[in-house]
Amino acid sequence: MRRPLRIGALIVTASLLVVTSEAATPPEGTLTVAVATFGNERWLPHLYPGAEDVVLKPWGENLLSRDPRTGELSPMLAERWKVADGGRTWTFYLRKGVRFHNGTELTAEDVKFTFTQIAREGSASSLAPEFRLIKNMEVEDPHTITVRFDKPSVVFGNKVNQGLFASMAFIHSKRYIESVKEEGAERHPIATGPFRFVEHVRGDRIVYEAVENHWRATPHFKRLVFLKVPEPSTRMAMLRAGSADVIEIGGEYVDELKKVGVRTITMPNVSWVYIILGGQWPTKPTYDPKVPWAQPDAEKARKVRLALNLAVDKQAIMQRMLGGLGTALGSWLSYPADAWNTEALKKPYPYDPAKAKALLAEVGYPNGFETTMNLTAWPGRGYLPDVGEAVATYWEKIGLRVKRRPVDRAVFSADFRARSYSGVALAYGAPLVAPEPWEVMYRAGYTRAALCLFMEHPRFDEFIDRLSIQPSHQERVRIMRDEMGPWLYDHVPGVAIGAAHAIVGVGPKVGEWPLIPGHMGFHNWEYVTRAR
Amino acid sequence: MGRYLIGRVLQTVLSMLVVISIVFFLTRLSGNPVNLLLDVNATQRDHEILMHHLGLDQPLPVQYAIYVKNILVGDFGTSVLTRRPVTEHIWERLPATAELGFVAMFLSVLIGVPLGMYSAVRRGGMLDSGARVFAVLGQSMPPFWLGLMLILFFGVVLGVLPAGGRGGPLHLILPALTLGYFTSAAILRLTRSAMLEVLGSDYIKFARLKGLHEQVVLWKHGLKNALLPVVTFAVMLFVQFLGGAVVTETVFAWPGLGRLILESITTRDYPIVQAGVLVLSALYLTGNLFVDMLYSYLNPKIRHARA
Repeated sequence: MRRPLRIGALIVTASLLVVTSEAATPPEGTLTVAVATFGNERWLPHLYPGAEDVVLKPWGENLLSRDPRTGELSPMLAERWKVADGGRTWTFYLRKGVRFHNGTELTAEDVKFTFTQIAREGSASSLAPEFRLIKNMEVEDPHTITVRFDKPSVVFGNKVNQGLFASMAFIHSKRYIESVKEEGAERHPIATGPFRFVEHVRGDRIVYEAVENHWRATPHFKRLVFLKVPEPSTRMAMLRAGSADVIEIGGEYVDELKKVGVRTITMPNVSWVYIILGGQWPTKPTYDPKVPWAQPDAEKARKVRLALNLAVDKQAIMQRMLGGLGTALGSWLSYPADAWNTEALKKPYPYDPAKAKALLAEVGYPNGFETTMNLTAWPGRGYLPDVGEAVATYWEKIGLRVKRRPVDRAVFSADFRARSYSGVALAYGAPLVAPEPWEVMYRAGYTRAALCLFMEHPRFDEFIDRLSIQPSHQERVRIMRDEMGPWLYDHVPGVAIGAAHAIVGVGPKVGEWPLIPGHMGFHNWEYVTRAR
Repeated sequence: MGRYLIGRVLQTVLSMLVVISIVFFLTRLSGNPVNLLLDVNATQRDHEILMHHLGLDQPLPVQYAIYVKNILVGDFGTSVLTRRPVTEHIWERLPATAELGFVAMFLSVLIGVPLGMYSAVRRGGMLDSGARVFAVLGQSMPPFWLGLMLILFFGVVLGVLPAGGRGGPLHLILPALTLGYFTSAAILRLTRSAMLEVLGSDYIKFARLKGLHEQVVLWKHGLKNALLPVVTFAVMLFVQFLGGAVVTETVFAWPGLGRLILESITTRDYPIVQAGVLVLSALYLTGNLFVDMLYSYLNPKIRHARA
């Protein structure tokens, strides 16, 4: 814990310096941001699933953050923390003097209240499964809280972390919510972030105002306005006309932006794109043994999955569907710079349609088979239906008969929950919601997790069981690099495409904008400087 | 006249009941909002709790009965997503929609009526040809494309007008032009054909023979009589503007009622969709009723026939 503490001290000092220097230049002007979606537009801890990250992060703060270069935890609302009992006990020491937007001081009771809300029954929060593992919480004094688990929770720090997408355990004021009730708190929400809430017109705008002399970073812009502009061409025109200063835009527009001289910032490796092959859950009632890639003969099923990989030109997809903004990869839910990635794992499965066809013939499908490709758009990943379409076309070249099924996310979410999509494929882009791949796959492929998204396997469960109680980061890296990574590569759970970047279009008002690598969606608004 | 009016009002109420019933059942066929409100990792128990909380665990006929009963007492329910009263959402968006609709309508009439009239008067001339080209372009250009072109030209190239969003009067110009161009073209054509018919009538010839000034003949005797179908058309168009300007509202990021309904459809926010459609159908049916009454007021023949 010494090293994180030293890093923490450095960050605190740097933060203080930032605050001091900011005090000399008070916030000025308005930063207008045009985004495609606001998510569910909810403000209470049990009501936002995670897609609201972009619009809530200026306003809320987590207990911890993380150093994007090393992945080490760093302080935020908690100035230090202690992990004991092999990860079963986490004690957070809160920073004194941090105030909510209504002026009341943050206390450990607020932390306990927020965590309880996230875990409560009916909670929409994507963090609910992890927070429900909390055995008890003890407020030791107004600024110290101890969280206890039955089993080790070695990466709980990543669940209360500002530096990750959709990690939104923002601390809410217990007293405020109890006094104005949930309805009042939804109308005028408060938190501790560098921007305070001013106005929310559903589906149109969210307006924030800078908190002057904020404990961490006083923003450079006085007002931050989010506009919901669903049409990308309008967002581009608004940026060029000066009606917006920052726009969310897909990789397919990168050439157009460059052509007209718009400045772009690349957010590297923000999501991991792959094709889910539904039905790999042999122990569940919806298992269909006739699905070629999930058939009871494990080796035959693996060869089918491998053939489906070999049939697809990932480089071409990266180039044409994502505007060249990404890296084709073979390793599962890993990014090129990850410590648990090796050159061998990074290598994409080759594009070899002839071999793919031969493999299919070898396992009894010389004329291919029929399947369905769901074409579903996810917020912030509008390219996914195009990726699905491209993969379907590649599969047809090796003899598959692919039925396209454009389906809304609401409809497919029900299929996810019910696991009623055996034999159906789907393009998906997993955001980096947790730094270690097993944490992501805990939600996607661990039999004993609340829900499994696309696969299950006893060997994989073993990896999760070992990793989830392993307190040593180095040992977890070793297991992922030397054991789990090669096993996943060989097992071929789906069709690996690779890590995708995202771009931001910025106007002349925007100066420096330090972004966290791997963090999907806009963030760090308080650090965006005004151009000189 | 009184009996006629009562009959039409009853018809209107019945039509609205049919509309809300259709919308109620159709929205429920489109998917469950709980699947969007919860994370994909949510448990079955979370799902059940939220279904119960939103009253979606009740049988459909029970939900329908509750819905109709609440509407009768003026309760349109609360949004599934925000848990705020639906009426608040509708009132929040209605001013933006009305503002855009009024200005677009004003522009349509301002351009369409005089151009249509003079196009008929100078039939076959330069003005007529120009007006017809204007009308064909207006009716064949998709509003989506026109909107983007206007944004690019006035917002990006000239930089004189905002490219999107709602703000001061300047923000209104481009969306109102986009919305109004199509309808001004339609009004132009309608005015032109009505004027051509009127200009050939005996009373116009008589007015000219009396030595009346040409402008008086055209505006007072000609246009007044030619406007009857135009007014009907304009009123119905205006009502359509209130709900049907979704494309324009999307292109210009205009926070109107059409976009609210569209977004609520995608998020399965049933109460907002239902209330929005109810408001629009009420406006449409009331507009229809108003036009009928106006017709019988303006055209004595109709009044006498109904009497």
